[in-house]
Amino acid sequence: MLSIENLHVAYGPVHALEGISLEVPRGQIISIIGSNGAGKTTLLNTICALIRQKSGTIKFEGRELSRFTHQIVKLGIVQVPEGRKVFAGLTVRENLMAGGYVLKEALRLQQNIEKMFDLYPILRDRQNQQAGTLSGGEQQMLAICRGLMAEPKLLLLDEPSLGLGPIIVNGVFQLIRRIREQGITVVLVEQNARKALALCNYAYVLENGKIAMRGQGRELLCDAAIKKAYLGECS
Amino acid sequence: MTPQLLINGISLGSVYALIAVGFALIFNILKFSNFSHGGLMSVTAYIGYVACVFLGHYIKDLPLFVVTLVAAALGGGLLALVVERVAFRRLRNSNSSVIYYFISSITMGILMENSITIFASSNFYSYPSFFPASVIRFGALSVAIPDLLTFLFSAAALVILLVVLFRTKIGLAIRSTSFDTSTAKLMGMDPNRVVAATFFASGVLGGVAGVFLGINYTLYPQLGQLIVKGFVASVIGGLGSISGALIGAVLLGVVEIFLIGLVGAGWSPVVIFVIMLVFLLLRPRGISGVIVQEKA
Ligand SMILES: Nc1ncnc2c1ncn2[C@@H]1O[C@H](COP(=O)(O)OP(=O)(O)O)[C@@H](O)[C@H]1O
Ligand SMILES: [Mg+2]
Repeated sequence: MLSIENLHVAYGPVHALEGISLEVPRGQIISIIGSNGAGKTTLLNTICALIRQKSGTIKFEGRELSRFTHQIVKLGIVQVPEGRKVFAGLTVRENLMAGGYVLKEALRLQQNIEKMFDLYPILRDRQNQQAGTLSGGEQQMLAICRGLMAEPKLLLLDEPSLGLGPIIVNGVFQLIRRIREQGITVVLVEQNARKALALCNYAYVLENGKIAMRGQGRELLCDAAIKKAYLGECS
Repeated sequence: MTPQLLINGISLGSVYALIAVGFALIFNILKFSNFSHGGLMSVTAYIGYVACVFLGHYIKDLPLFVVTLVAAALGGGLLALVVERVAFRRLRNSNSSVIYYFISSITMGILMENSITIFASSNFYSYPSFFPASVIRFGALSVAIPDLLTFLFSAAALVILLVVLFRTKIGLAIRSTSFDTSTAKLMGMDPNRVVAATFFASGVLGGVAGVFLGINYTLYPQLGQLIVKGFVASVIGGLGSISGALIGAVLLGVVEIFLIGLVGAGWSPVVIFVIMLVFLLLRPRGISGVIVQEKA
């Protein structure tokens, strides 16, 4: 569905990604794990054209992607950014409406808002509250629901468990599982490697802008090097 | 302070509100102070004048006034689209620092002012009087008709803006983009379109304000420098806050009328600038308390 070939990205003289290639098959969850500064966010932002690559190609359903973020969203690629980035001064409902901006029909918008309320009922109770007043976990759920509003084919999640307590993290991962059940393809970027590897179909390990390792989630969970580098710290 | 002065102040404040909100809209979305807005108001004051002179043969009084406002508002909106395209779009696409926006906006303002000087030389023109300078009585209160209409039409323009901002799809996009441009893009919002719409709205308000300024004062190319009043109102209310701009503007109008009575027209601006400096020093986020930082 999404295929990336030999992607190079730099911020001025700083090389953030050096020759990344990866495949995201339809209907799967692909995890990308790696420590802070490995280039995970850069990769997602390059897919969404928030950053321009130096070289390399990104193809979605066989075609090269547009250079404009809003057009990429219209194709069905939606990113839920790192740090949630809900519109704090807008109400919960308005945040969902913003997520459904690309929908053509007003009726669809209302239906999808109802679906999100069913998916995470707290949002219904808080719909007229400013999003900035929600707790961190609620904001994360709102951010994911806001992303789902656009009916994406491919959902990119950037560290959805960052800074959240264990209970809400379970909630977030449960939600991601349900998203896959709905047939939406997911790219999950995480530092919480254990959970991400357990959930995904296939995973890539990013180190210093290069893919250090790749394999099925369960294989990597048992890998000695991975255990040492990524699982020892965050159990 | 008499109720009479209060009403004069609110009427004046409503014009300042048009300026301040037009200013705040752009500040919100691009995080810089758009001083070209003054030049735009000068041009629209003349656009309104030309429309009113030409159409004055066919219609009179209230209809003429409304058509004049609409012509100036549309002219202002379209001119703002041109300004955005010429002066700011390239800067946005190359992520330039705020100083370039500043220079670009000042230059654009001067360009517009000087274009008027060239076309209209620096003769003074003045709007015909649309209405009899009579008063309406509400019990003990008497309100001058021009003051009342100034207030009503300014308020109507602002209400329309608020409806657009809070009840329409493009309004939601403007507010989202003002909060966080990158994330708004991730919602599928096209920044070029959203910024253009914001400039259009700002230009429409500037156009309406331009006509009122032209009516209150005579027409001259530097008329738009009254943008300073909008800026002061924004600072008092809180830069980048729409509600703050509204409150600050009405407050400014009332205080100004009050001061003119108290210390005279010469000293009143001095006192007002002192008030603004006090706000900048003691409460830089203004009355509304929203903190919006200038683009770094
Ligand atoms: N805006 C930026 N300007 C310069 N360097 C950046 C910028 N964003 C990220 N980087 C650098 O790029 C590298 C990758 O960062 P990032 O993609 O954010 O990593 P991750 O999401 O895996 O933590 C880091 O070395 C970081 O310092
Ligand atoms: Mg990151």
